[in-house]
Amino acid sequence: MKVTTTHRVGALALASCLTLSACMSSGSSSSGEEGDGPINIGISLPLTGDFSEPGKGVQRGYEAWADYVNENGGLLGRDVELTILDDQSNADRVASDYEKLINQDGVDLVFGPFSTRLVVPAAQVAQDYGFLFVEPAGAAEEVFTQGFDNLFYAAPAVADDHYDYLADAIEALPEGQRPKTAAYAAMDDPFAMGTAYGLKTRLEEMGVETVVDEVYPPNTTDFGSIAAKIADSKADIVVGGTQYQDAVNMIVALRQLGYQPKMAAFSTAPTNPEFPEAIGEQTEGILSPTGYTPEADYPTNAEFVEYYTEREGNPPAEDEANAWTTGQVVAAAVEAVGCADPDPECQQQLIDWLRENEVDTVVGPLTWDSEGRPEGAHLIQQYVDGEIRIVLPEEAAEADLILEKPEW
Amino acid sequence: MRSASDTTTATSTGRGGMLLKGAGLLVLAALVLAFPAMAPDPFILSVGVVIMSYAVLATSWNFVGGFTGYISLGHASYSGLGAYATALLVIHTGINPWVAMLLGGLVVAALAVPIGIASLRVRGASFVIVSIAMVLILLLVFQSWGEVTGGSNGLRVPRPFGPDVLRPEQHERFFYLHAALLAVALLAWWAIDRSRFGTGLKAIREDEDKAQSLGVPTFSYKLTAFVVSAFFTALGGGLYALWFGFLDPIFQFSILVGSYMVLMSLLGGIRSLFGPFLGAVIVGYAVEFFKNQYGDTQFHLVAMGLLLGIVVLFMPDGIIPAVSSLLRRFRPEAASIREVSQADLAEQRRRTSSPSTSGTARVASPADGESTGDADDGSPDRLSEGVQR
Amino acid sequence: MSLFFQSLVLGVLLGGLYALLAAGLTLYFGVMRVVMIAHSAFLILAAYLAWFFTSETGLDPLLSLVVTVPLFFVTGVAMQRLLISRLRPATLTMMSVLLTFSVALVIEGMLGFVFSGTQRRIRLPYSGDSIELFGANIAVVKLIAFGLAAVSLGALFLILKKTQFGQALRATIQHPDAARLVGINTDRIAGYGFGLGLATAAIGGTALALDSTIYPSLHWHWIGPLMAIIVVGGLGSIPGAAIAAMLLGLGQSLLQIPLGTTWAQTIFYVALFATLMVRPQGFFGGRLAQRF
Repeated sequence: MKVTTTHRVGALALASCLTLSACMSSGSSSSGEEGDGPINIGISLPLTGDFSEPGKGVQRGYEAWADYVNENGGLLGRDVELTILDDQSNADRVASDYEKLINQDGVDLVFGPFSTRLVVPAAQVAQDYGFLFVEPAGAAEEVFTQGFDNLFYAAPAVADDHYDYLADAIEALPEGQRPKTAAYAAMDDPFAMGTAYGLKTRLEEMGVETVVDEVYPPNTTDFGSIAAKIADSKADIVVGGTQYQDAVNMIVALRQLGYQPKMAAFSTAPTNPEFPEAIGEQTEGILSPTGYTPEADYPTNAEFVEYYTEREGNPPAEDEANAWTTGQVVAAAVEAVGCADPDPECQQQLIDWLRENEVDTVVGPLTWDSEGRPEGAHLIQQYVDGEIRIVLPEEAAEADLILEKPEW
Repeated sequence: MRSASDTTTATSTGRGGMLLKGAGLLVLAALVLAFPAMAPDPFILSVGVVIMSYAVLATSWNFVGGFTGYISLGHASYSGLGAYATALLVIHTGINPWVAMLLGGLVVAALAVPIGIASLRVRGASFVIVSIAMVLILLLVFQSWGEVTGGSNGLRVPRPFGPDVLRPEQHERFFYLHAALLAVALLAWWAIDRSRFGTGLKAIREDEDKAQSLGVPTFSYKLTAFVVSAFFTALGGGLYALWFGFLDPIFQFSILVGSYMVLMSLLGGIRSLFGPFLGAVIVGYAVEFFKNQYGDTQFHLVAMGLLLGIVVLFMPDGIIPAVSSLLRRFRPEAASIREVSQADLAEQRRRTSSPSTSGTARVASPADGESTGDADDGSPDRLSEGVQR
Repeated sequence: MSLFFQSLVLGVLLGGLYALLAAGLTLYFGVMRVVMIAHSAFLILAAYLAWFFTSETGLDPLLSLVVTVPLFFVTGVAMQRLLISRLRPATLTMMSVLLTFSVALVIEGMLGFVFSGTQRRIRLPYSGDSIELFGANIAVVKLIAFGLAAVSLGALFLILKKTQFGQALRATIQHPDAARLVGINTDRIAGYGFGLGLATAAIGGTALALDSTIYPSLHWHWIGPLMAIIVVGGLGSIPGAAIAAMLLGLGQSLLQIPLGTTWAQTIFYVALFATLMVRPQGFFGGRLAQRF
């Protein structure tokens, strides 16, 4: 008789699951047909797990943007409402989140998640349902070669171009002053590797010899051996394709070995406000590309910085700015086309409009190529007298570039 | 044991039992097949696909976990390998995706042979260690070997159905495909369960030493079960890859995925044919529920840990045995020849049994679904002593 | 050549930490036949406690050992008595894996819950300092960590070798039934053994926190190498684990020169498979284990 009970238990469970899942779906759905109701925007972000730190930054940026829009008359006269889900830094979840946002929560628009690793699966879902997909983080080349025709990256430049101004500056130096050898260490992450290898390509073209080329897994915490290799090579310039803590660890490990490069460039980490606290006095001369600075004099930026600072108590960083930019980009398209609903026709109009037009944002005017790559460049910052300042390009510079990095 | 006993009980209770059994199966199949039509929106349907995928994986895991009692925490290795094998075959050779999936499964099965030899020569502990090590090493390799695997950039998997098949339609098709694969896996499990081979495997689970001394070729039996398990797991991984369309090593070779398979099987009941399936439905639903409720915290890990701990401590045989024994208590016809409850019986045996009566006798004894064998003091540390086998 | 020597030094320093942690892991297996998956989760927990202690009080993280070591010892005893001993002996190994795995998940989840997923690092005034030795630079923090590991390993050795408790523990490892016959309370001894193992995690975690970033899911990164070490060293053999740890730590460090960070990590798994294929009882177990 066990047989039947076995089956019965299974059947019972399945039946109850079906009813429960039906329950789960009801209640939360608010269909987003055209009308006077709020415009519902769906977002999935890594609020827990490995990418949670930047994920929360993006969340702050999105929320600040939504409040700002609502305080200033809304979008198409309608309020903006955000539905933010947590994808737990997991690719399976991010896809299922957008599936839920689009099908169950009936959102009118979607904004992108954080991190290259999550952008691709999310963009796939958005594309399948014909949604415009503007994303704040997903700068790696791989994002743009997947054939997505709905994707736009809301920042000035893709990862490979982050160091363009620095490469130009080095190229402009007299032959004798250029670095002769370079050491690269990059995290095995499409974005972080993209930045370091973008500069590597440029430097190698100039004849700068690559003496160390290391890639380390994202979970690396012991940089002793990598630092030993770099220190042993005595490279003139060290380039770190880093996120955050890996840069801190690497710099500490390099200092432990007494290595003194003439130039040191690390992506992302130095722009983090906690970076000088973690490194202490030894930040002087460290270079970093950035897509955003609160000091930039783009039309809407001052207002953004003021609004955000008042709201959060500190000026926005890059993640927040990119989120805000995403909002600005979508809003520009929505205002121009005059629609914001999940209907594929409306979404296609939004996509088409962005292909053709330039949008003024807090990170500058943005245009995109046919694959969604932004066509700008990143600014180069450097720690000068203990403060992080823009040093390149010259027309935007707040301080002079230090060519010989002081000892750290 | 449960299912082995199923057959005996079914024949002993005769035609009525068979009919009920058939009816139960039909209802179950009808429910599964009706799900896509009943799902209110594509999101629910996609959750259904995920749950079916989990059911396939958990059932596949149960070929080794349920039959031999060897618990693998690293079956994500085989689902991940299956996924990558399928994807790479499709991308590089352009063959039919379904053929690629099957080939992928065979490749993984072939790979499972040396892995199985290394990890099954010794008992328990090393098997677990190797299973976890496999996930970690594959993560490293697939992450670093970027030219082939796409590395940390991930790998897009071409869709088997054209762009004219809309996403909800894709979900529906893949739901049925997963259901079909699940049916095949269940059928295979059921066939092994009834076979001599299955009896041998279960003898290993109850007491490996005695099984061996009774002439069961334990090593080759374990290895076969392991390879079959890897094969089905790889098929499950391949099918999921074709549906999901994007592979990233950190999500494919994740210890969490492997532990979900264990949790599901254990929760449902590793000795029951439908145990892993039931577990997958419960856990799959619970995951969605917890995410809805506690989405913004790390609580899902804690919840999963606690659930696993509770199952291990209080319900190591899973829900199906627990519930069905509960149900049986209230049913007059269940009191056939045996008046004593399983627990009594097991207790009785524990006190009186001499080694010769446990062993194989238990393998055939219908009512013993209660434990993986008695606390047989003759070999308390068989793991350490079995190291040389 | 200096790179080789530098890597050699780094390898020894790393191997010392591995040795201490692997000793704890193999101890559980010795006394209880338990593969303690949560060992490295406790390691990270201890590291977090050290970090929390330092960021709250501003005192040196080493002082947190005064709290964490006894705390972990008690936790270990409690875990053995309340959780592990409830499992049926016949299925102990498999079920204990799952049980300790679930403990690891709970710890990881709670760490994320309480301290968030942000990566943390203790800020020490001497974190960048180093001393030079024959052309190699040895970071002060790494030296402290190594010293801590070496002292603890020595203490563990003395406890097992010289004390009555150690004798009882060794007897329990070698032959539980015989130990029971001569009047050793093996349950209690096993509990203490478990506590001792967890205490190594407390020390190891503090040592780790001195020179490394920590985050909740870091423990997966540690458990793989540690498990490989105890298999190579022979399950249950403490000297075996220590020797294997030193060799593999050195190997990892040296292999990074030609192979790079990622591939060098595979040495642990290659060694694991080679051991299981060639000598499943481990390379340093057997005779050596008998002596302990």
